[in-house]
Amino acid sequence: MKVQILEKNGDSIRFIIDGITTSLANTLRRIILSEVPCMAIDDVMIIENNSVLHDEILALRLGLIPLKTDLDSYNLPEECECKSELGCPLCRAVLILDVKAESEEKVVYSKDLIPEDPKIAPVSDKIPIVKLAPGQKIRLEAYARLGKGKDHAKWQPVSACTYRYMPEVSIDYERCDGCGECVNICPRKVLDKSNDGKVEVRNMLECILCRDCMNVCPKDPPAINVNGNKESFIFYVESTGVLPVERIISEALKIYDKKCLEFLEEISVNLNVPKKDENN
Amino acid sequence: MIIPIRCFTCGKLIGDKWEEFIKRVKNGEPAGKVLDDLGIKRYCCRRMLLSHVEIIDDLIKFYGKRDVKNENRR
Repeated sequence: MKVQILEKNGDSIRFIIDGITTSLANTLRRIILSEVPCMAIDDVMIIENNSVLHDEILALRLGLIPLKTDLDSYNLPEECECKSELGCPLCRAVLILDVKAESEEKVVYSKDLIPEDPKIAPVSDKIPIVKLAPGQKIRLEAYARLGKGKDHAKWQPVSACTYRYMPEVSIDYERCDGCGECVNICPRKVLDKSNDGKVEVRNMLECILCRDCMNVCPKDPPAINVNGNKESFIFYVESTGVLPVERIISEALKIYDKKCLEFLEEISVNLNVPKKDENN
Repeated sequence: MIIPIRCFTCGKLIGDKWEEFIKRVKNGEPAGKVLDDLGIKRYCCRRMLLSHVEIIDDLIKFYGKRDVKNENRR
């Protein structure tokens, strides 16, 4: 297996994995989407709220705010030793919101949400939560906890996680007459004409396998061939900012490893059962 | 009602980009260019900002001043 990082911009990463099967690539994608834990507000104790948004809508909006996650110092509530419904300092973080609009309209932003643990803070300070009319106020306590994307999308650490086959574009120069139809139709500008009128593949990675070039080619069979390599994948992962992308991927692989070990253990236990029966 | 915090489809954070978006669009910049500048690439996220109407501003007008008066009376 070979991995090559193509680009990394802040919260997103694009890389090639060569030499794996589709099922393994899909496993990685699904674990990233639904198994990698991150922090989100789950319980909200509303002490006072006379804003135009009802308590439920307010709580839903709070839940969707992405929070910076510290995976090393917090436990998943179901794995925490406290076994308490409300949680302990090891499995929940408290955020407090206490705002009042005095004589003017006021927008409540995510920066007004004061975290008890400064490491568990909203990803951005500028997310509008509500707008308050003069005299309205909100007082609440929000409990954030780790969770998984399979329980609720607010615990999904990524906003995009996709993979596609590695494109392979080849031109049969013996039959290509350089008419340029394929160069004009390509939506991703993969092809280009060189100075001597030859069609050339310029940036193969951009190809989306639409095969418009094959359909437009006047030759039969087409002189250009586009295929996806089913053992090589271009991955794109975009974090919501809760965790660095590298951490999300490494965490996903750790989870996959753990799941495989659990499966192996389960199998060996089940294989041992009939042996014991024979001895009896 | 009020700008959603995340894109309905992919879950990207878009709430924090609304104020800059609407300010620049009202100043006459083309919306598509502003979206590009804000780093909103996918059309699922772009429609969130493009098609949003901030109704909460109209609702708030019905509250407010009357409430302040009531509070002063107490």
